[in-house]
Amino acid sequence: MAIFNAKDRIIECKLVYYGPGRCGKTTNLEYVFKAFHKQTNSEMVSINTMGDRTLFFDFLPMGLGKIRGCDVKVQLYTVPGQSRYRSTRKMVLKGVDGVVFVADSLDVRRKANLLSLKDLADNLKEEGKSIFNIPLVMQYNKRDLESQGIPVLPLETLEQDLNSKLKVPYHLASALKGEGVGGTLKEALLLTLRHLQKELHWTR
Amino acid sequence: MTEKDLIKRLLKEADLYRTQGLLSDSRSKYVQILSVIGKSETLANHKQLIAGVKSKIRAVDKSLNELRDTPEKPELSEDLQDLIKKLFTFAQTKEAAAIEGAVALAKFGQYDQALKEFHKLLEKGVLPVVTAKNMIKCYAALKTPDAAVAQFAKWRSRDFFSTEDLKYIRTFLKTSLEKEGFKAEIPEIEVKPSLPSKAKKKKEEVFLEISAVTIHLQGGPQAGQTMDFDVHFQSANTVTVLIPAVQKSLADSLAPGTRLDDIQCYSPITVFRSTGTVSGTAMIKQGPRRGDYTLDITIDAD
Repeated sequence: MAIFNAKDRIIECKLVYYGPGRCGKTTNLEYVFKAFHKQTNSEMVSINTMGDRTLFFDFLPMGLGKIRGCDVKVQLYTVPGQSRYRSTRKMVLKGVDGVVFVADSLDVRRKANLLSLKDLADNLKEEGKSIFNIPLVMQYNKRDLESQGIPVLPLETLEQDLNSKLKVPYHLASALKGEGVGGTLKEALLLTLRHLQKELHWTR
Repeated sequence: MTEKDLIKRLLKEADLYRTQGLLSDSRSKYVQILSVIGKSETLANHKQLIAGVKSKIRAVDKSLNELRDTPEKPELSEDLQDLIKKLFTFAQTKEAAAIEGAVALAKFGQYDQALKEFHKLLEKGVLPVVTAKNMIKCYAALKTPDAAVAQFAKWRSRDFFSTEDLKYIRTFLKTSLEKEGFKAEIPEIEVKPSLPSKAKKKKEEVFLEISAVTIHLQGGPQAGQTMDFDVHFQSANTVTVLIPAVQKSLADSLAPGTRLDDIQCYSPITVFRSTGTVSGTAMIKQGPRRGDYTLDITIDAD
């Protein structure tokens, strides 16, 4: 839940990167940390286990400057994708304001994407939120692998599988190369801030 | 595509999955390659190819085993534990925030540190029953039933909790240990005749500050389930809780007049069971919780 300090006109909101294990959530945040250095006012925190797998979460605070007279701060988080960390994902989702769902474009990860999206919907429901109402952006990651001859899911399949009911904006990306990372983040922030503006009646 | 080209393509895929950490997918692909090679005995270097792929499978299996053996939630540094407490504490009051911070540590598997913090909170008398319950949860998660029972025995001997509280904590301890598959001998509670009668005690308690309630739902779409609510406002024995807009069906099922035969009330001093009636519902029209519902519950005074 966003914190609105009306006296000092500060808004703090929380954006969570969700998706199956090894889909590129941490890679997204690493790129954001490097590319948006001006806005990232402290170090990125990653708690990893063997093989660079996120164990608890990654955390990156950003300052977006003044928007409509308010100092807007955003906290970016990733969740651990592995199925055994469901309780950790639930904790990280506490108070979430917006979500980026990072789907793995690899053909072999089709089922993992579906399970992860269902897990997101279930965990949001337990948080008292609906996947249909929360600001959400899809990112179809690892698109660059197609040019290397690796089987990837066509955009139509990804959209049909993951977005036919949600109908949220999507971005094609290659987080490792930084392609589509900024666009995804900007759109997710825009949707989240618009949503908060309505919720908090936030005017100049 | 020739067999050689097919094997090359599959190898490229399997190697990429391996470098990406998709170990199970990589293994499946290597096994598929073995099957293709097995059917093509005319291939040059047939035996060497099989040996090479088998060696890759062994390496993947080693990584998978290492991953399986990695502790699910290892102990973190003090700095990271402090960060977890900071990031996952939302309560406004100091006491509630302290409990929430310790609960966050426990949820992230930092049970030893969480236990230390709960001990301190209990010594200070902060929400003793809630704190004791969380300590029991930690012992159960650490799979140390003996420590949990020993702790309970200490509480029992110290006169720290009322008889009613101890009975409640004992039941909670028993259930928690059974859930984890442990059967333990838990000391019984002796009823002290000097304690005030149940009815009198209950009457005193309902006017206590109640911070949260757990309701066992008997009707509506979630019949049979229990729901936890934080109390947002209290006037005498009527408490107001909030229901998110997305749970409209729940709000609808709790119309004014609905009897609630099992309510657990949490106050800073004690936890007690009671009954009550829904005395009002309304949709919030303004502010950040616009669209959510308020639910007034009048708790029976005796």
